Amino acid sequence: MAKKQRGKSASSSKTADIKQQTDHFSLMLESSDDEAPEEVTFEDSKAEALRSMKQALDTARREKEQLKEKRRKRQELFQEQKKRKLLPADVLEEIDSKEEKEEERQTGTCPEVCKLPFSTPERESASFQQQAAEDFLQSRMYGPGSCRTTSNELLSLQNKTGRNKSAAVQFCFNPEHCELCPNNTRT
Amino acid sequence: MGEFKVHRVRFFDYMPTAIRAMAFNSRTERLALARADGALEIFNFADNYFQEKVIPGQDGRAVEALCWVGQRLFSAGLNGEITEYDLENLRPRYTVEAYGGPIWTISSNSQGTLLAVGCEDGTVKMFEILEERIQFQRNLDRQKGRIISLSWHPSGTLIAAGMMDMIRIFDAETGRATHRLLVERGVGASKSKEVVVWSIVFLSDHTIVSGDSAGKVQIWDGVTGTLVRTQLVTKWDVLALSVSNDESSLVAGTSEGTVVQFQFISSTVGQQDKEWVRTRTFKNHSHDVRALAHTETAVVSGGMDTQLVVRPLLDKVEKNTQESALRKMTLPHRSLVCCAKKAGLLLFQFPDHLELWRLGESDGHGKPGDSLPVKRKPEKLIQLKRKGEDHICCSALSPCGGWLAYSTVTSFRLYRLQNNNISITKVSKLPKDLRSAHQLCFSPDSSKLFASSSHSSVIVVALNQPECKYLHTLKPKSGESEQPVHLLFASEDGKWLATANTDCEIHVYNLDKLKLHCTVPVYSSCPTAIAIHPTTSNLVAVHADQQIFEFSLVQKEYTEWSRKLQKQGLHSLWLERDTPITHVAFNPQNPAHIILHDTFMFCIIDQSLPLPEAKTPFYNQMTLRSLPEPQRIIHSHAFKICKNFQHLMCVSLLEDHSLVVVERPLLNIMSQLPAPVRQKKFAT
Repeated sequence: MAKKQRGKSASSSKTADIKQQTDHFSLMLESSDDEAPEEVTFEDSKAEALRSMKQALDTARREKEQLKEKRRKRQELFQEQKKRKLLPADVLEEIDSKEEKEEERQTGTCPEVCKLPFSTPERESASFQQQAAEDFLQSRMYGPGSCRTTSNELLSLQNKTGRNKSAAVQFCFNPEHCELCPNNTRT
Repeated sequence: MGEFKVHRVRFFDYMPTAIRAMAFNSRTERLALARADGALEIFNFADNYFQEKVIPGQDGRAVEALCWVGQRLFSAGLNGEITEYDLENLRPRYTVEAYGGPIWTISSNSQGTLLAVGCEDGTVKMFEILEERIQFQRNLDRQKGRIISLSWHPSGTLIAAGMMDMIRIFDAETGRATHRLLVERGVGASKSKEVVVWSIVFLSDHTIVSGDSAGKVQIWDGVTGTLVRTQLVTKWDVLALSVSNDESSLVAGTSEGTVVQFQFISSTVGQQDKEWVRTRTFKNHSHDVRALAHTETAVVSGGMDTQLVVRPLLDKVEKNTQESALRKMTLPHRSLVCCAKKAGLLLFQFPDHLELWRLGESDGHGKPGDSLPVKRKPEKLIQLKRKGEDHICCSALSPCGGWLAYSTVTSFRLYRLQNNNISITKVSKLPKDLRSAHQLCFSPDSSKLFASSSHSSVIVVALNQPECKYLHTLKPKSGESEQPVHLLFASEDGKWLATANTDCEIHVYNLDKLKLHCTVPVYSSCPTAIAIHPTTSNLVAVHADQQIFEFSLVQKEYTEWSRKLQKQGLHSLWLERDTPITHVAFNPQNPAHIILHDTFMFCIIDQSLPLPEAKTPFYNQMTLRSLPEPQRIIHSHAFKICKNFQHLMCVSLLEDHSLVVVERPLLNIMSQLPAPVRQKKFAT
């Protein structure tokens, strides 16, 4: 029932405050609905407000930093890709101009003439592209969604559904004693 | 047949490579086939589907497409290069960089003047086909996605290009893209993935047929750019398409291993309006079908299960004949195993290395059919890795086991084996004429090495420890064929050397005089194995059409036995075999014996016994064994066939009279293939 008066001096210690707040809290449990709402002290609400503002500022700052980091990383990636892409384009331009000049003098040794000055950096990017193309093929044929099984399972199924049913291949497969599948007939 | 102790060898881990692309030349009836490791093979469809030529692969030459222009063969690959091949010297003639990134497809116009390649960077590049080379002409309009497939309209004025999610039609003269045909993506989960138009065909009535990764075969009107029909053929990808020359039949290859045929017929008899109707489905492969060719009478398919399948179409050939049989080519038509008869060693040739094995030993005795206990297990002595990017073309081991040689298209290496074949030293000083060879052969006394070179010539080199010296170059008559030599055989007595080339010529050289002795009369089919008898000096030649000839080198004419065989004719079951004889050997204990083998059987021909008649049961070994002795003699005939061992890679006779049988069971190959598609079958 004892209510804290408004404007109580700020010099009161924190612990006394807290103790009083807990007292308040326990008192609140006992109070009925008819009573007027609790009054919160000025200090409390000021502290609360300051805390929440600080938190908001912190989160905003952190988010900004994260976005900045992301942007920086993306920019780096683009730079790298641009560097990789630029090289063959350079080479292409040079070759276009070279071809126009050397059309009459081209002989059966054409590939050597074209290849010689541009061997090293061009070869590296070419093998990178070749690897990327092979990866594309691999992912389309054997990547996720390709719905594949193992050769072992295929052979086991053949054993199971063939005319002479036998065990799954992994159980009887031994390179030394391997026998031909009984239904492996030539047409 | 006699009793033999058999070394049953199953430790040759030969793995064939997947078939990646093929192209059929209808004028010469040759099929060119490209494998995943860059190797190229040429099959002669007119000569019992014999694998005439093999060009070894190269690291990094990832061939994606092949194209014939007349008699010239071009390939393009993911390394961004276009290669023309020299089919007489079995090597690439030159390569040209396309500078468009990896190349996915190559196609020439029907006039044979321009070559178009589809590149990763979205350009279709045109090359002019000149006499000795190709020259870059121009780029068509650059597109925003990779060009996966190309097809020229037969008139040469338009090109259809299959890309990601769409098909583009280009005007070949202006280079402008005129139409864009949008291809629908798959349903469900695959809606988010781009659909890849793996294959495309442009027909002369301006119809475009496309096969894509959503499993559809779509028919488009190339004039208006509209979709005419869609047919969902498979749940997986349609990887390849091929149309017949008369454009009445089309086949599509899928990831499931099926080949679906469409025919341009009217759906009701008698009506005029024709359309593309799905007719047959062939399931001849266990894995993805990545390459297809449609010949006049058959559908040829190949893919990840490494087998080449020829399926004759029953509406083009007579039913139930030899012509209409399904053909499967699994193992190569040449020997990859070399047996050192005196030393009991085996040399296995792989594309990137060689393995030298010593055969095991057994003391035991037993009845026919018994497995004898092994006293000493076979052991791998040496594994020799090749140097450089080019794959191994041929290899040889001397009969004494002291010398080993191999060749690629650019280099040749000779090694000396010592200390009971454990240590190996390279012979560094080689004669400069010996740069690369198509075939290698050591003389039986290991004193000479024979290497076949360009224009059917053979270089003879003397082996004196520790180096080797150039002796002579044996040449056939000047002005004769330029085809490469694919068979070499040196006789036991060191007097004769026989060579056979892909032009069906067999030349025999006298090694004492170092000159040409005679040329066997040319037979229309290519020889697949040759050998010279050690005592009678008769040359035995077996051909791709399964004919056998025996030619006397001393008399320079066919022998009596050979004439008798030709007159009677070979038994039909012998002629119907669909794999060639790759090795001929003789039995020192019985000079009347000739030992031959193909993939599925080995046979001992006893020349002292009567030849089988047409009505005689051919495979009679099992029945003969059950008969009593006197009856056996009445029913025996010359061809004694054993089918106990399969698939055979080599059958040879050692000096101690034991047989070496090198098998490669198909199951071992199949278990190491890449992943097939998962098919949900009821009750499994």
